[in-house]
Amino acid sequence: MPRQVLEDTLTADSIAADSALAASGDATAFERLYRTHVARVHTLVRRMLDADEADDVTQDVFIRAWQKLATFRGESAFGTWLHRLAVNVVLARRKSVGIERGRFINDAEPLDGVTSKPVTLELSMDFEEALASLPEGARQVFVLHDVEGYRHEEIARMLGVVPGTSKSQLHHARMALRRHLER
Amino acid sequence: MNDQWTTRLSEYIDGELDRTEQAALEAHLATCGQCYATLGELRQVVARAKSLSDTPPATDLWMEIAREIRREKAPARRDRLVRRRFSLTVGQLLAASIALVLLSGGGAWLALQPLASSEPTRFGGSTPRPRVGQVVTWTGHTDAAIADLQTALTQNEKRLDTATVRIVRENLAIIDRAIADARVALQKDPGNAYLNLHLANTMRRKVELLRRVNDMAAARS
Repeated sequence: MPRQVLEDTLTADSIAADSALAASGDATAFERLYRTHVARVHTLVRRMLDADEADDVTQDVFIRAWQKLATFRGESAFGTWLHRLAVNVVLARRKSVGIERGRFINDAEPLDGVTSKPVTLELSMDFEEALASLPEGARQVFVLHDVEGYRHEEIARMLGVVPGTSKSQLHHARMALRRHLER
Repeated sequence: MNDQWTTRLSEYIDGELDRTEQAALEAHLATCGQCYATLGELRQVVARAKSLSDTPPATDLWMEIAREIRREKAPARRDRLVRRRFSLTVGQLLAASIALVLLSGGGAWLALQPLASSEPTRFGGSTPRPRVGQVVTWTGHTDAAIADLQTALTQNEKRLDTATVRIVRENLAIIDRAIADARVALQKDPGNAYLNLHLANTMRRKVELLRRVNDMAAARS
């Protein structure tokens, strides 16, 4: 068995063991799960929302995970389950802060905020900064599709829009971001 | 930069145009240098997105999370079971306790069956059915199998590289802690079906891990 495969298997075993322990109330096992997954969750949240919300929302994701562990039946990997939970928490946050659906759909010029900036500033931004400066709708579609690998149909369901809107936002986001590719 | 095809470039990259549209766009790309250049840049954006790495938060968020979950004491499963227990009648409690005892022994026995069938020299067809409520008894055969496999691993691990041995030991320690926790919990609540199954599954995981590592070491001899 190649070493990387063995490491992956062992890691999956220990995560599965920890998720079972955590579900029975073992906070130490849950802390190990937190340490393993916090970077992925925090990065997802930071990219989907504003950076200053990332810590609070990440904490919220893990607290909800603890509360919902009894519903995790091990049919998918714990990381997949947690990731989907994080996406749901982010989307719920998006609604709760009043980003109404109409604004998302009718955002005819979603990239005004980016394209109006001076060219020199744009070129000085790195890719992550440029991503963070995208309007929320375009940024969330880009993160979900190009970074996280969701399909347009899934994104449309999650965001409550039609797939065509998701495709359009993705294209606008890519067009803006191409100026920030490292040269 | 606003010809009719520019807005379709992302769909082209993602393979979402039908065959006719794709052929028409490719014909356009052959004659339009600007669209061709834009297509290359968009492809770089897609590749860059896939290569982004995760970074942890600047501060450790665990303390706040730990404080919150301490208030909860345990996940919802335990709360629901406790609430339900107090809502049962005496007759229901009696019936439930009998079912729980049966499930406890039977569940653990079922969970251990794959071990019995794959270890013929030790378990060959005569694995006794665990006695209800005697937690220590039903783990006896698995304890023996684990002891044998650990002895074999001690002899074999010199064939493995240091990093692999370290990872194996770390994971065995994690599993051992889980087994120890389950045994402590079962001492307080021997008839708990969930704990019995959890212990059986964790012990099975340990056996599987030891077997895999021994197999790997044997393959290198």
